[in-house]
Amino acid sequence: MTNLNLKIMRRELCYMWRDRGLRNILMFGPLLGLLLFLAIYNAQNIKDIPTAIVDLDRSSSSREISEKICNAENLKVVTYPTSYQELEGQIQRGEIIVGVVIPENFARDVALHRHTQVLLIIDASNTAYATNASTAVLGVTRTISAEAGIKTLMSKGMDPAQAKDTYLAVDFKEEGWFNPTLNYVYFLVLAMALNFWQQCCTIAASINVIGETGVKSWLQIRAIGFSKFRLFFNKSLIHIMVFMAMIIPVYIIAFGVFKLPLACGFGPMLFFTLLFAIALHSLGTLMSSAANNAMDSTRFGMMVALPSFVLSGYTWPIEAMPGFLQPVVWIFPQTWFFQGFNYLTFKNPGWDFMASYFWALIIIALVCYSLATLITAWMER
Amino acid sequence: MKQLWNIAHYEFLHVLKDPILILIVFIAPLFYASLFGVVYFSAILHDVPLAIVDQDHSALSREIRLAFANDDSFKIIAGIDSYEEMEIGMKNGTLRAGIVIPQDFEQSLYQNHPTQVLAVYDASNLIWGLNSRKFIREVINDFSTQHTAVRLASAGYSPQEIENIMNSVECNVTAWNNPTYSYTNYLFMGLMMMAVHQLGLFGVCLCVTREKERKSWIQYLAASIPTWKIALGKSLPYLIMNFFNYSLILWVSSRFVQVKIEGSVALLIILGLLYVITVTFAGFIISLYSSNSLQATRYLMLLSLPLFMISGYTWPKAYIPEILNYIGVLFPSTWMMLGIRMVSINTAGLQLLWPTLLVLGIFAVLAGYFALNFKKERNQPNKSSLSLNGGVSYPRKTNMLRALRQQIRASKL
Repeated sequence: MTNLNLKIMRRELCYMWRDRGLRNILMFGPLLGLLLFLAIYNAQNIKDIPTAIVDLDRSSSSREISEKICNAENLKVVTYPTSYQELEGQIQRGEIIVGVVIPENFARDVALHRHTQVLLIIDASNTAYATNASTAVLGVTRTISAEAGIKTLMSKGMDPAQAKDTYLAVDFKEEGWFNPTLNYVYFLVLAMALNFWQQCCTIAASINVIGETGVKSWLQIRAIGFSKFRLFFNKSLIHIMVFMAMIIPVYIIAFGVFKLPLACGFGPMLFFTLLFAIALHSLGTLMSSAANNAMDSTRFGMMVALPSFVLSGYTWPIEAMPGFLQPVVWIFPQTWFFQGFNYLTFKNPGWDFMASYFWALIIIALVCYSLATLITAWMER
Repeated sequence: MKQLWNIAHYEFLHVLKDPILILIVFIAPLFYASLFGVVYFSAILHDVPLAIVDQDHSALSREIRLAFANDDSFKIIAGIDSYEEMEIGMKNGTLRAGIVIPQDFEQSLYQNHPTQVLAVYDASNLIWGLNSRKFIREVINDFSTQHTAVRLASAGYSPQEIENIMNSVECNVTAWNNPTYSYTNYLFMGLMMMAVHQLGLFGVCLCVTREKERKSWIQYLAASIPTWKIALGKSLPYLIMNFFNYSLILWVSSRFVQVKIEGSVALLIILGLLYVITVTFAGFIISLYSSNSLQATRYLMLLSLPLFMISGYTWPKAYIPEILNYIGVLFPSTWMMLGIRMVSINTAGLQLLWPTLLVLGIFAVLAGYFALNFKKERNQPNKSSLSLNGGVSYPRKTNMLRALRQQIRASKL
């Protein structure tokens, strides 16, 4: 590497450092993001879903049901309202997510083998809560119905073992693969921090070209016949090195300190992140070559960077998006990265499968840098 | 009053002259509403790719297969006949759930030997994982019920007797507010309120920095126009446009994205007004104290994700540490997102919403007070730091080369 290249790189690093706003964003943004998201998802799982039981019967049978609800996985009985209206108010105020109403004369109806109903209400306005609550409730309802049925069969003279067999004939065992504890920290925290990181990188990359062509020193650079390729190559190199320097501490904290899952190992993950950093930088460079000023370029960049996480399918699956949108989302490097990131951290499906993700980022980078070169040359004419 | 209108008119002309600002103010809200609307249009997951590894090939295992095949939540992927194949499918994402029925399952079951059907789901994406787990339990419950009914019938019970036995205690599960567990109802309005927040700030945050960059802000400071007229005149076009965008988003969400927007229209309007006033005046204050438009835009852009996460809109507040909840309540976006959910999804009335309205009202008054009573002082440019991107200007193309060439040509002539 020649002395001149080093000087260009040092100059760029100096510019980045002396741009106080950018410096703050790059130095503290991703780390603060990671720590904030770690703190938000500190609880890791949705357990102890606040539950209320309205026992209008107050019998031993109804207390049995209450006990089953108390012992149900992920439900936590926090209150016993005395009426349906009181329960309704608590659900409306968001204090309770699951409500159980045991009707009057419940024990009498059970004893007389009359049809009776237990009402289970789930507040589904927050689906994250509701899906967990619903799953927990499904387990309880199965047990309650089965036990009631078994008792009825026994009262009709059936042998207890036979009655139990009739009800619990098929036993299912559930296993959540790759994230068995359904831990939100594993799933979301690092991905969110990476999302924040890619937004910070986009801000930095989006002044790559305009940061030179939009200032008066550009005339001097052009006047001395300095190679544009050499200038932007070295600038880009420094940008990408800074992007990687930002993410390495995040990875060390996430994988090293908080032991987030990393099925593929640190090396492949770092290489994949490097390719993404290059692809992201190329996209920012493309925008900065087309924009009239640094602010427009930043705004273009953020218009892509902000919705890209939602579009990447990391949370809401791509398969659930409409058919015409599914191929479109793969244009963005963020989609390849976040999908690949999920595979690498949780599954490590092997190089044969992952190769397309690595190549896609390389191709996106090549296309964006080529377009940026053409646009810059065209603008200079 | 004329001064106020003149400032507002001049500001509006600025918006019309800046194509990117036109995009942000007029097009972006609709664009984001359409984009996220399309992304979440299906609202619920269905057709979860499922493999059934049937190692038993018995009548009972076929019944289990049929139970999953008949459920709309799953789409059975054919050709997965072994556990190893299922593992590969789960790893490469072609499968999101699997059922493994062991060898001699039916025989073991009828001989009362312990046997189990294995149900697995991909929890690397929790939306897939949690929904698959729920769907699997629903199918299992239905299958168990049917299976029990068949066994009772074979034991000689009449259909009426079977119904009486099985419904002796019926558990009736109902979901309130969002009965289909729609992710659109859950997420869309929160994302849209964040879009109103961010786009509202982006628009108005340039109104003073632009003047500073053009060196015309000094004229406002020197003129004998009261500060409240300057602030209100500059903010007025954005107040109107932000409220228009808020209303447009509500209409698009309800009409085209099929988001549940029920509850009182008056409350939705009041919420929107308070939110828009707060955001617009906060944007004006940010603009007032920012060095230049680029700096203001950069910082504001990064706000969206932390504000969204800390609001408790997705991850319940009960699971967020207290200290973060206290920080969260300092932002109007937190109150607005929870408020709009309460009105539109939970159809809450004034008796439940008044604390939210009160807090948003306080935010609006505070933001308005500080914006309308700003001090007419010109901040001295910071000489100690480099002006690049942090001073009163930022890089912009003036086609210097072309200008230089023209000068050279002119001098030759």
